[in-house]
Amino acid sequence: MISVTDLRKVYGEFVAVRGSSFDVEPGEIFGIVGPNGAGKTTTLKTLAGLVEPTSGETTVAGYDAADPAMRSHLGFLPEESPLYEDMTAHSYLRFFADLYEVPREVADERVADTLDRLELEHRDRRLGDVSKGMKRKVAIARSLVNDPDVLIYDEPASGLDPLTTNYVLEFTKELAAAGKTVVFSAHNLYHVEDVCDRVMVMNRGAVVARGTVPEIREEYGITEYHVYTTVPTPETAPAGERHRAVVESMDAVEIVRESAERAGGIVDDIRTREPSLEEVFLDIAADGDALGPRTVDGETERGTPDGAPSDHTPDAPEARR
Amino acid sequence: MSTSRLDRLRSRSRSAGRRLRRETRALLRIARWEVSRGTNSFDRRTAAVTVVVLLVAGGVFGGLVASGVGSVGVDSGLYRVGVAADSPYHDPVADTSALAARPPAEAEVVDGELRGGVDLLVRDGAVLVADSQKGQAALSTFRDAVARYNDRRLGEEPNRGAAFPVLVTLRYAERDSAPTLASAGGRSVDDGSSGSEASSDSSDAGEPGASGDSGGDGSSGASGSADSDDAESGGTAADSGADGGFEVPGLGSGVLRTESTGSPADISPPFPFGSLVLAFAFLVPMNFVAQAYGGSVLNERVNRRGEPLLVTPVGPGTVVAGKTLPYVLGLTAVSALVALLVGGGPLSVAAVVPIALLYLAATFLAAMFARSFKELTFLTVTVSVFLTSYAFVPAVFADVTPISLISPLTLVVRDLQGTGATLGQYLFSAGPFVGCAAVLFLLGVGVYREEDMFTQRAVPLKALDALDARIRGKRSMLTLAALSIPFVLVAELLVVAVLFVLPLELSLPVLFVAIAAVEELAKSLHVYAGFAKARFARTVPTALVLGALSGTGFFLGEKLFAVVQVVGLPSLTVGRAAFESAGAGIGPAVSPATALALLLAPLALHVVTAATTATGASRGREAFAGAFVLATLLHAGYNLAVATVVSGLV
Repeated sequence: MISVTDLRKVYGEFVAVRGSSFDVEPGEIFGIVGPNGAGKTTTLKTLAGLVEPTSGETTVAGYDAADPAMRSHLGFLPEESPLYEDMTAHSYLRFFADLYEVPREVADERVADTLDRLELEHRDRRLGDVSKGMKRKVAIARSLVNDPDVLIYDEPASGLDPLTTNYVLEFTKELAAAGKTVVFSAHNLYHVEDVCDRVMVMNRGAVVARGTVPEIREEYGITEYHVYTTVPTPETAPAGERHRAVVESMDAVEIVRESAERAGGIVDDIRTREPSLEEVFLDIAADGDALGPRTVDGETERGTPDGAPSDHTPDAPEARR
Repeated sequence: MSTSRLDRLRSRSRSAGRRLRRETRALLRIARWEVSRGTNSFDRRTAAVTVVVLLVAGGVFGGLVASGVGSVGVDSGLYRVGVAADSPYHDPVADTSALAARPPAEAEVVDGELRGGVDLLVRDGAVLVADSQKGQAALSTFRDAVARYNDRRLGEEPNRGAAFPVLVTLRYAERDSAPTLASAGGRSVDDGSSGSEASSDSSDAGEPGASGDSGGDGSSGASGSADSDDAESGGTAADSGADGGFEVPGLGSGVLRTESTGSPADISPPFPFGSLVLAFAFLVPMNFVAQAYGGSVLNERVNRRGEPLLVTPVGPGTVVAGKTLPYVLGLTAVSALVALLVGGGPLSVAAVVPIALLYLAATFLAAMFARSFKELTFLTVTVSVFLTSYAFVPAVFADVTPISLISPLTLVVRDLQGTGATLGQYLFSAGPFVGCAAVLFLLGVGVYREEDMFTQRAVPLKALDALDARIRGKRSMLTLAALSIPFVLVAELLVVAVLFVLPLELSLPVLFVAIAAVEELAKSLHVYAGFAKARFARTVPTALVLGALSGTGFFLGEKLFAVVQVVGLPSLTVGRAAFESAGAGIGPAVSPATALALLLAPLALHVVTAATTATGASRGREAFAGAFVLATLLHAGYNLAVATVVSGLV
């Protein structure tokens, strides 16, 4: 449904996105995460046809992203919810439905249905007078008036209370279940972990990891082994009535076991702890300096940035830590 | 043509038709939405107050119009004049609003001196004046009233020669038909069509019968006429010839035109004050509408409010057109209403619409550049002051010089005077305004996109962004240079208009440099933008290519826009000096080889100077500034050479 190849965007001397490539399958929820300034929003806006790429190819729903015809198949939700505050929710949505050339009867039905699904109240109140959560819902409803195949949501739950956030995330899952393809960016990695089928991690303009959350965790996270012994060994520290060593490989576990046996004890429990996506993300982000400067000159001096994918193999984690 | 090709053509045309219909529907939808948003943003109380204010303003203005503007009775009955009803002086007093006729019995006369009751007393054929400043003022007004009354009565006499034994024929000569800088003998540039003749002709004024030939060539100056009953006595500008010449209503041009006699007492300044005041009424609503429009455009940029519109299938051009259409139609309707009120016709409306378009285009660009409403206010006020001045000031000279046609408001003045205008004059006046408006909209639409709309940059940098947005490659240099021509024409006409009142010794050198600077700026700004935005490699060969393309584009555009010939503007010395370098005014006496050389010489000049500035632009801002000065001097030198060698102006 979406195919991005060697996308690159340069603003003056600043390289916002450097050579990112990825594919998104129909019905998939694809998350893009990364610290502030990583290039997430630029990538999303390029997909939406709002930003012209400096180089690379971007195809959405079978159209080049720059093709105005593509926009009929796209729903876009920007990070903020800029609405025309002198309009009501209903008139606002009808206006956009008209611009998408949705027939009047269909538009009326679709708008009413979407507002019902979003449990939007105060439909005839000026948008300037409704709460932030309501505005966000109206913005989401706007992204659906043309019944798009692809939805691009930039921080859909940004600034919302937990209840509304949960509602928006559940609604996003419903959309994907209904066959929509969703590209989704968020700072809150628990949301990403909860909602997304696959995730792409960006840092300093480059794609540094990509795959399902378990794949990324496996590839980039560090699994800890908590080894409990009945006797103290050089590797362990007291942990209640027992002694515990925290190690990162099975070889290290074996060393602890041998030490315990030499001391006349045994290993009576081994527990593994998988890293959260947030911990993996923090590890990856901490390596940002390795990606080099984000200027055209800096890139020229360094050649291809370390984090940039060297080929277009969407499902293979391609970045080095 | 093969069937498959025909099918493809049909398919393409159908597709284009569908797209056009879709864009038109979207345009109208956005226009309706803009109207409804505009009306929603006014609360009822504000709307009511606005309507009341407009009605009061309209009523006051209507009253002014109805009362003849200049004859508003603020001084009505100011001076009391004691005069008997059967006195021959009673009628002049009664006809003058500033004077109030009182019975002589009200006057207090002590020892033969007027002490009170009235300011003047007419008794026994003598006039007693109160010993006060007001008495003296009353006497002056009384004398004027009697003189006017007498002139009017004499004008009613069938034997006008007896009534006016002394007649004055005024023939206004263009100032630059006087001797030029170097030629003491004087070389008139009058082509006989402007209504001006050498000043020595004025000696005819005293010759019997010399005044009877007004309008003989359809373009002569105003004259009083003793023996032509059918001619409009006093010769107002209404009798301009078919060649569109200009003349001066020297006699009888009151605030609103009145009867005149040809008497020396009727000589008045050649400015159409009444028509100007009425023409100004067209400009007033534009300022309000432009403010509302600018606010609406900037509102789209505040908090990224307009971003969702950019994701719809509707193109930015359609969005802008849809937002602008209601304001264009609104201003056209208001202009038609004003025309109806002040007695203007379709020409007035047709002349005002280009001004309205330029107002809106400049406001649109200002709103696209402004970082805040505060900055927008500053920019729109600047736009408003400049455009109002540009439109209004030349119109003051509507009856004096053809250069006044640089403002379409001059056409309104002529329409109100009943003079009318030729198609060539209309195109000359309106063309640059429409051209400038189109280019400004084009530049604004170029930055009506996510990457530019929501960024906060200084206005000059935004201007560079707007130019850069229209650069698609090296060939864009050619197009952008050609598109700058309307602005160049406006700027140069403005320079000419400003300088033509100065002595030639001063105006010509300044003109050469100013014109050169305007043209060099027009040829180089987009090249600089291209380099500043890293569109092109900063190498000398690239700069030379870009400069050559820009110079060529400018040359072609200049030729396309050589409308100065249409109204004979080069008949003015300063006009000729301004446009001679473009190859205008090559006369039939010039040999083909010389003519070709003169035609191609401007091309060489533009290419060389544009390449110079482009090379500077490729090296950065300071180098660009230096190269610009160098190119301007080179260009000014060329202008001087052309004026000296070819035209003999200097």
